[in-house]
Amino acid sequence: MNQMNDGLQERLSRLEAGEPLEVVLHGLPEAEANLVKLAESLRKMPYPVPTDSAMAAQRKQLLHTAQERKIMTTQPKAGLTSRPWVWAAGLIGSLFVCALAVAGFTGAMGLGLFRGGSLEAPNANSGILLGAQGLVEIKAPEGEWTLAHNGQTIVAGQHLRTSVLSGVTLAFYDGSQMHLGPQTEISVDTLDARRTFGPRTILLTQWLGQTQNDVSHSNNSASRYEVTTPSGTGAAKGTSFAVWVFTTFVRFDVDDGTVAVTNLDVTVIVLEGQSTIIKIGQPPSDPVFSLSGEGEVQAIGTTWKIGGRSFLTNADTLISGDPQVGDWVSFEGRVLSNGTYFLDQITLVRHSIDNKFSFVGTVEAIGGDSWTISGRAVRVDELTGIQTGIEVGDSVIVEGGLANDGTFWASNISLAGEDASGLAFSFTGLVESMGDAAWSVSGISVTVGAETQIADGIEIGDIVNVTGQIAESGEWQAQSITPAEESSSEFQFSGKVEDTNPWKVAGISFETTEQTAIEEGIQVGDLVKVEGLILADGTWQATEITRIDEPLRFEFVGDVESLDPWVVAGVDLTVDDKTQIEEGIAVGDTVKVEGRILEDGTWLAEEITLAEEGLGCTNVPVVVESVEDGQITLADGQVISLDQVGEVEGDLKVASVIIIQTCVQADGSIVIVSIIVIYQLDELPTALPTSEGATGQKVTICHLPSGDEDKAHTLVVDESAVPAHLAHGDTLGACP
Amino acid sequence: MLDPSGMNWPDLVTLAQRGNVDAIGALYDQHHAALFRYLFSRLGERQTAEDLTGDVFMRMLTALPHYQPSQTPFRAWLYRIARNRLIDHYRKEGPHTPVPLPQAEEQQDHTEDLGLLADQKMTTERALAALSQLEATQREVVALRFLSGLSLQEVAETLEKSENAIKALQHRGLAALRQALAQDQVLS
Repeated sequence: MNQMNDGLQERLSRLEAGEPLEVVLHGLPEAEANLVKLAESLRKMPYPVPTDSAMAAQRKQLLHTAQERKIMTTQPKAGLTSRPWVWAAGLIGSLFVCALAVAGFTGAMGLGLFRGGSLEAPNANSGILLGAQGLVEIKAPEGEWTLAHNGQTIVAGQHLRTSVLSGVTLAFYDGSQMHLGPQTEISVDTLDARRTFGPRTILLTQWLGQTQNDVSHSNNSASRYEVTTPSGTGAAKGTSFAVWVFTTFVRFDVDDGTVAVTNLDVTVIVLEGQSTIIKIGQPPSDPVFSLSGEGEVQAIGTTWKIGGRSFLTNADTLISGDPQVGDWVSFEGRVLSNGTYFLDQITLVRHSIDNKFSFVGTVEAIGGDSWTISGRAVRVDELTGIQTGIEVGDSVIVEGGLANDGTFWASNISLAGEDASGLAFSFTGLVESMGDAAWSVSGISVTVGAETQIADGIEIGDIVNVTGQIAESGEWQAQSITPAEESSSEFQFSGKVEDTNPWKVAGISFETTEQTAIEEGIQVGDLVKVEGLILADGTWQATEITRIDEPLRFEFVGDVESLDPWVVAGVDLTVDDKTQIEEGIAVGDTVKVEGRILEDGTWLAEEITLAEEGLGCTNVPVVVESVEDGQITLADGQVISLDQVGEVEGDLKVASVIIIQTCVQADGSIVIVSIIVIYQLDELPTALPTSEGATGQKVTICHLPSGDEDKAHTLVVDESAVPAHLAHGDTLGACP
Repeated sequence: MLDPSGMNWPDLVTLAQRGNVDAIGALYDQHHAALFRYLFSRLGERQTAEDLTGDVFMRMLTALPHYQPSQTPFRAWLYRIARNRLIDHYRKEGPHTPVPLPQAEEQQDHTEDLGLLADQKMTTERALAALSQLEATQREVVALRFLSGLSLQEVAETLEKSENAIKALQHRGLAALRQALAQDQVLS
């Protein structure tokens, strides 16, 4: 019977290969020949086909869905990063504040700043550049640096570098990708990114900066994807990891899978969620779990207090943006072997919202050091940016701070015309090209002319402030271009909304995040003001979008001085039965006031709300020691009742490595927002990993008996006892 | 715009896995008609077969990121999705309804095929009706091999059986189909 089966298949194969039926049937017994003929008849029979309309609708739906998913994949929701513990927090959206915000790089990855197109590397021996933003240059061996562009290929031996406010993705034939952040240089040493028929070999050297590496899975065990740095090499297979090259050390962060990191013949295996650091001339440190988060700065020093928690820092901690007490920062660091939290990076996200105000009003008087705008005296000085051409009677947008004596100090005064024409803009960006009639600055084309004031010495690659007006034609006409401070990468402009998904205003597309404050009800065609930040890779990210169709609106934050009548920050406010006033506001509270200025100069408050916000959130990785009766016990001794947790993601088991996100509310209470399982260890660690200089150390803490701050006193305890103390609310360092 | 002509299926599928919309469209263009034939042969209803064809491709889209070309040929993987979709359909809608005989399905004019069909006095309706009388696995093999054009290896991968088992089912299926058609001829 087997022979008959094989014989039939052999004849059918010949038919499929194109032999004529008569030839195939030759010599076959009649019964077998009939089966072959029947098979051929079945093949050639005219079967029903799907209707054209159904087919077209299906295809359209399929491609539409594919496109949507592609957008979701390449432009993840703001706040996402490739690192699950940060993703869980959803906090990183506004991570980039200053041009040198190194910590923001990971955020940029998740914000889809390095989106690729449909371009593919042409072959295994070439990579292709995608999503280039800002200034990206390429150099052949012994050659000169030249501008690189999207779609350009790169081969072994070539170098690639990015400037500030710049980034690019290097995509390989096998699907692996290296995303370069700002101020990064790499070289391609060996490139054979084959998909099949042998091992893939991608060997890269990272000389400077930060990269995120997404390595495609390979079935060939001999495949290699390695990033060598001046202080060690990371080798990965089918994983995702970031490499940071600093002056004095190199850091490897693993997002997914495992990476073997080697230096001085010492190799450590870094697991998902872990980091290792290599200092110059030293082997890699023992991998430790990373931590990250955002929060309000409450204390600065060797021990920082952020969002209600204490963190150690040292001279190696990279602090960007000069954050001060009251400011909002993001941070990344590690959990040391003794359970204490150490920060590698602290980055300013935004300054304190206290004392910030903005309003739209009519200019009533213009003086040398004081203007009167809608009945208010507004101080101006040499630091105040004043749009040229403002006259008495004009409607203007005033932004600035509230001085201690309650007077307004304006940092910026600009025209607030109702038409889309003549709207002011200002932003800080990277000069990408300098033409006679137009410049490109961080992707924005601005026209320049005889009237444009351009500071001397500006070159391609410089960071500049650009101010000007958007003409009726949509042209961005520059009035001044001046060198910018490194830390200023903010923008603001006004214009008509052209689209809200994705956002496009006055011809400019920009990103929004969960943190972007968007006034409700904004529609296409509305006139809005957009404020935001230019991220480290050059992407424009809005922090606030507000409607400016009402010319006499105001909004500010200040302390309540009186409730009847209402006085906030020295401003007399009128309230009526439509004014929404948050319950419980008392004299001395800091409130946010929104409203409009009536024709008679009265400031009518529409909404008064407490301006307090939570103190911040922290994401801490920890190992689960036991799970029972709806409770988990952690390696640091904490016991958490799961019904008090906002969200649990993943399968909680003994030896699960989890990320706990805790947020401190304005009243000081702590909420566990989420627990996410990021990794499952085979078994519980028998002991905490050791770390040099850690064992036997004494640590100074501020002990709060029963959490009562009034009874706080300073204690010096063995480091082994620190986690338990921290777990019940004690803080590191002496009591204030 | 992607030109899929001349592109081998692993490359096309790799592009589709990376979200290349042109590649996904090309996969639909290459496979939807044969997939519809397979589903129609199992269901006997145009509308349901059309709906399920669309569902299968949507499921393909969802599953593509997890598909490993090195483990299963693409067509076999796609038809596994189709079989699972059919099982879901039967679970919800009840057992298979045999194809009515004869069914008023409009046919295209393929005069070049008529000579071959004439000596067996076989029409599409009769063939599908006879196919519906076969034992389930034989019916699967015959439909996948000769209606959808899968290779012996692809059918083996789809049904997760050995190639020898498929050869045997193919032989028995064709023999049973011929017998069913002969019986039908006697009765008609």
